[in-house]
Amino acid sequence: MVRALRWIVFAIAVLAMNFPIIVTLITSLKSQRELSTNPGLWISQPTLDNYLEVLTQTSRFNIYAYLLNSTVAALIGTGLAIVLAFPAAYAIARSESGKRLVLPIVINLRAVPLIIFAIPLYMMYQWLGLLDTRIGLGLILTIVNAPLALVILVNAISDVPVELDEAAKVDGANSLQVMMMIVRPVIRPALVTTFIFGFITAWNEFLFGLMLTTSRAVPMTVGASFFFAASGGGVKWGTASAVMMLGALPPALLGLVMYRQISGSMTAGAVKG
Amino acid sequence: MALVTRAEGRMYLTPLVGFLLLFLGFPAIVNLIYSVSTVTFETLRSPVLSGFGNYVAVLNDREFWGSAWFSLRFGLLTALAECLIGLFLAIFLAPLLSKRPVLMAPLMLPLMVAPAMVGLMYRLVLHEFAGPVPYYLFEWFGDSPAFLDINNAFRTLVVVETLQWTPFAFLLFYMAYSAIPLDVREASSLDGASPLEIVRWIDLPLMKPTLVIAFFIRFIDGFRVFDNVYALTGSGAGGSTTSLSIYIYQAFFKEGAIGKAVAASVVLFLASFIVLHGLNRLAGRRKG
Repeated sequence: MVRALRWIVFAIAVLAMNFPIIVTLITSLKSQRELSTNPGLWISQPTLDNYLEVLTQTSRFNIYAYLLNSTVAALIGTGLAIVLAFPAAYAIARSESGKRLVLPIVINLRAVPLIIFAIPLYMMYQWLGLLDTRIGLGLILTIVNAPLALVILVNAISDVPVELDEAAKVDGANSLQVMMMIVRPVIRPALVTTFIFGFITAWNEFLFGLMLTTSRAVPMTVGASFFFAASGGGVKWGTASAVMMLGALPPALLGLVMYRQISGSMTAGAVKG
Repeated sequence: MALVTRAEGRMYLTPLVGFLLLFLGFPAIVNLIYSVSTVTFETLRSPVLSGFGNYVAVLNDREFWGSAWFSLRFGLLTALAECLIGLFLAIFLAPLLSKRPVLMAPLMLPLMVAPAMVGLMYRLVLHEFAGPVPYYLFEWFGDSPAFLDINNAFRTLVVVETLQWTPFAFLLFYMAYSAIPLDVREASSLDGASPLEIVRWIDLPLMKPTLVIAFFIRFIDGFRVFDNVYALTGSGAGGSTTSLSIYIYQAFFKEGAIGKAVAASVVLFLASFIVLHGLNRLAGRRKG
């Protein structure tokens, strides 16, 4: 009895929380004609026309460009964050440096509304010619990702037995060699998790994409909204839905495959923060 | 023999610290200078110091206080709702999930989709002609509210935010709940405690730190909300859905009121600094 109730609650929770995704998926599979008569949750004649249109008619809005921009910017924003955070995490976990000032400040950064920095960054980007570039967006995404990367990596390195470092040191390795050749392979899983989680976060970022790009470097989250700009006959819901599904797919797939690791890193960031 | 000497430690920290100083420290200084200057888009590089006029303008702006009030209410309500529902789901579904961990995946899916994208999706879900929600409400009850008009927009946004982020609170609570040793519960159940009593007197007290942390994280995220609100309503609905983040964005991009936008940024920075400082003190006291 209670078991059945648990299943029912589970089903309701999944349906309610994923409702917008379900509706968008259904709408994306309806023909233009069916959409005008049937806004309900069933499809009488499923079709892939909307996806075809989005993927082939790219003269006005080029979805490939948005997808590419998001991919490049997210890769920069995640890769650079790890490159910067890993040595720092090593120093914090294995020495007295950074424990009192750097770590707390960076952790708290996660809770600061980044819009505070948005206006000076906009001006700075204007001077540096970084407005509307993928690199510029990637650098900002590094800021977004750095705090969690640091926390996850500090935790991971702290879990590595110090004896491992000491043994290598006795054998004549210097700290750089220990870091790169001993610690890095051991915490590889944490590095992968950080990368996946960072990539999802970067892909889903919207505010800076909106402020710092206009045409050439527009990411998917911003580009998707272009399809809502009414063009004479109002929003074409079928194509708009197909765009949203395609744009949400990469992080959703990564998340579904890696949900275990991600749940671990979410809580790591939360508990230490 | 130190594993990492002081000098080496500093060297390893330098890239990260340098990057943060350039991208956050420098902007912070620019913020402070520009907030006490007269500056327009034409004179961006040569601000003229002019005292605290920008701050006075911001603090006298009814819209600023309106957006601060929106952010505060929004943050508190969504954090509370997310934590309550998340807590219930974590405890009630734990027996199912511990046997079939894969059931976590669909519960976590909302966290993987961009909030901006979810905001756009709700434009469809709630659209008066194309959206299924109004459609079924008309079908069944003969009427459907205008979800995004001035009277309902706030409630709608609270529901949207809560549905997307409840999984986060749920996840934290489920982890904390699973970490409670089984024998503690078994012992109290042998002593005759009912399941509800166990939750009340064993589980909740043990999960209290997580409850507090989850509430604060969700409050902060709700307070600074931008993406889904902007995507769903803009600042529309008669300005009734302007969060502080949206206020700053609009002051800068729509009105070109740089001084005002920057001064509001500094005020927001101070506010979050005070909240974070209090939170850290709280955490420090718990540890000590």
